[in-house]
Amino acid sequence: MHAARVAVIVLLFGAGAAMAQDVTFQASVDKNPVGVDDQFTLTLTLGSSGTGGGKNLQLPELNKFRIMAGPNQSSSMQFINGVVSSSVSYSYVLQPKEIGKFTIGSASIEAGGKTFQTNPVPIEVVKGSPRPKQQAAAPEDVSGQIGDNLFLRATISKTRVIQGEQVNLAYKLYSRVSLLDVREEKASNLIGFWGEEIERSKDAPPAVEVVNGKQYRVFTIKLMALFPTQSGTLEISPMALKATVQVQSKRSLDPFDSFFSNPFGRSAAVDIKSEPLKIKVDPLPLGAPDDFKGAVGKFAMSTTVDKKTTRTNEAVTLKVTISGTGNIKLLESPAVELPVDFEQYSPKVSDNISRPQGLISGSKVFEYLLIPRYPGLKVIKPVTFSYFDLGKREYVRLRSPQIELNVEQGAATLAPLIAGGSREDVRMLSQDIRFIKVGQIGFTRPGEYLYSSASFIVLMLLPLVALVGAFVYSRRQQSVRQDQVGYRNRSAMKVAQKGLKQAAYLLKESAGSPNPKQRLRFYAEVSRALWKYLGDKLNIPQSEFSVEGAIAELSRRGVVTDLQQSLRMVLESCDMARFAPTSLGQATMEKSYEEARRIIVELERTLRS
Amino acid sequence: MTQRRSFILLLALLVTMPAGLSAQTPEQRFEQGNEAYQQGKISEAVEIYESILQNGYVSGPLYYNLGNSYYRGGNIPRAILNYERALRLMPADDDLRHNLQLANMIITDKIEPVPRLFLWDYFDAFKNAFTLETVTWLAYAGFVLLVGSACVFILGRTYLLRKIALWGSIASMFVLAVFLILFFVKLGDASRTDEAVVTAGIVTVKNSPDEKSSDAFVLHGGVKVQIVDRLSNWVKVRLADGKVGWMESKETERI
Repeated sequence: MHAARVAVIVLLFGAGAAMAQDVTFQASVDKNPVGVDDQFTLTLTLGSSGTGGGKNLQLPELNKFRIMAGPNQSSSMQFINGVVSSSVSYSYVLQPKEIGKFTIGSASIEAGGKTFQTNPVPIEVVKGSPRPKQQAAAPEDVSGQIGDNLFLRATISKTRVIQGEQVNLAYKLYSRVSLLDVREEKASNLIGFWGEEIERSKDAPPAVEVVNGKQYRVFTIKLMALFPTQSGTLEISPMALKATVQVQSKRSLDPFDSFFSNPFGRSAAVDIKSEPLKIKVDPLPLGAPDDFKGAVGKFAMSTTVDKKTTRTNEAVTLKVTISGTGNIKLLESPAVELPVDFEQYSPKVSDNISRPQGLISGSKVFEYLLIPRYPGLKVIKPVTFSYFDLGKREYVRLRSPQIELNVEQGAATLAPLIAGGSREDVRMLSQDIRFIKVGQIGFTRPGEYLYSSASFIVLMLLPLVALVGAFVYSRRQQSVRQDQVGYRNRSAMKVAQKGLKQAAYLLKESAGSPNPKQRLRFYAEVSRALWKYLGDKLNIPQSEFSVEGAIAELSRRGVVTDLQQSLRMVLESCDMARFAPTSLGQATMEKSYEEARRIIVELERTLRS
Repeated sequence: MTQRRSFILLLALLVTMPAGLSAQTPEQRFEQGNEAYQQGKISEAVEIYESILQNGYVSGPLYYNLGNSYYRGGNIPRAILNYERALRLMPADDDLRHNLQLANMIITDKIEPVPRLFLWDYFDAFKNAFTLETVTWLAYAGFVLLVGSACVFILGRTYLLRKIALWGSIASMFVLAVFLILFFVKLGDASRTDEAVVTAGIVTVKNSPDEKSSDAFVLHGGVKVQIVDRLSNWVKVRLADGKVGWMESKETERI
């Protein structure tokens, strides 16, 4: 057989582990191409990294194949490096009916509230497969010769059961011939049942039974435990076997021929079939509890938590064990109600089944991985599980004690949440988004910007106005300075006072010393100050200045004659001092100074008004 | 013509009606949204925040809160879209950057940006430290300083004062130049229309704007893309890692 194995890679998305949406549902076959006589396995794998298993599995149309066995469910869960991933696979053993190229259509399943579909799987069925041949010789129809020496009988332990109750189905081959090989050609169609094959001891010697006065050797071909999953009258279709038997050769008179012929006779293939069976299945009585999910039998439940005290972001395992007798394989995981701040993953399911006296019993363990996100005392509500007790003929509800978990604040360094990414990323993810903004906020219109608002444009113009103002002001200042007349007029008083200050200084100096030079300088200063003041004030160039002219101008401007006289006196005394400095004493000097000051103050007052 | 006018009238009526009906200020609506969020009524909060936007008001905190509501509601692509919109209005907000980073970590596609000169990162950090409004005010301050020192220079009587004013005006001219450049850069950023977020759950990006074209790559919701070209209802997008492809424009939403 050159069938290439198809490697199935189930992509378990690690990156988005926190999101329940990452569910894959894939179909695969274990051989392709497959021989028409071969059986192959179709596996439907539901891989999910979040919570929730599959529900409502719908098979594609398989009219080109026979379902020989299945579905067999297996689940696995991994918790590696902080990644939680789980997968559930359903496998069916199929046998092709004919040669050709076919496509196994999409199967669908519901998980996490969504429906997922598998990829269609193309498969090629080729002619025959070299299975170990017993005899090269072509089988010969020897049915007539076999007669009732070989037959197959299917028996069931009960003909009337309640839905979910176990029924044992046994196939026995009664034989009075020499059997070389027996193989299953077609399994019974077990529609409406969940079937579980019961292991039987292969080496057990055949029993001996007498039927209709004939002694048969009886081989138990197959033992099955059936659990009806629906009510009504269910039919178990016949099982077909192909048996290779040894028959006596036709007698040959030729000794040569006889010599070479098989001394043990020839082999012949015989098709045998069992009779169809009918089972009446009664529905379960009304009044099932809410959490009843079809468990029938007798069960006990226990719950354990691996630790009572944990830290945030550290996983806790809650183990729910249901043990007993009944349709254990069909048990669904009981719902565990968690406080909201817990992260929950779909449970890891494992079962341990034994079949003493053909009765299916054992235990099924559901391991829930819980990750608390916030510290505090957390209470997990009691886990409940209901089943229909076959002995008492009533529903029984089991209830675990309430589970209390003390969650301490753990170091928020590593959240078992995500694969890939740096440590920093992981640290980030263990955090939550920050709170919304509350309080007063400002709203704007889209496309509305500060720079284009009217008030801002006004604000922009203000400094420009200030700049223009400053510029204008400075220009005015400058022109004022250039206006010499006005300037001299305004600054005349200041200049005169400066000169008088100097004169006062000289006056003090001369008081102590008899040096006439000092007096001369004093008078010169007083005279200069007065002339300068008059020049500035009356706007007359100093060169054109004379006492008479000045007096005339002053009287024209309405200065009182008294002041004119004083001015004349001071100026004359200044002139006199120049030519006869010694003639004037200290007292005269002081008088002249006072006089000059008075004149300037008076003139300033008079000329301004 | 009259038909057209009545249509416009009707449109105006339709636009103003919700505002008239609710008769509430956006501030009040915002408060209501916040209350709904705090009470855990996430879809109600989303509705209220969206209604404020529909009435033509925008605000950084509004987009931020809407992003938070979408995040809580499990719609990560829309959360990212609104965070990105908020980022344009308040680029320096620490809470916003934290939440956006968190949301980006949850999405399926992890896109490594093309490495670039480190100076650009410095520039971005400097740029993002200010909002457009702050930059406008800072440029304004530089302008006022420049004018002020020019005024002092013009009016100053003493040599020292004028010297100080001269240096002051050079310094404020520098400040003005920096913030004016930043202002125009940020104004360009704020009004750019070439950034979008993938809002569809999963998108097969094509090599050309045609449904029958070969597939380039697959994107999941929440990825930020740059729109480089448009053709009828197709957009050409570029990812941060440099990949380019075409997708239908309805699968994205502009930031």
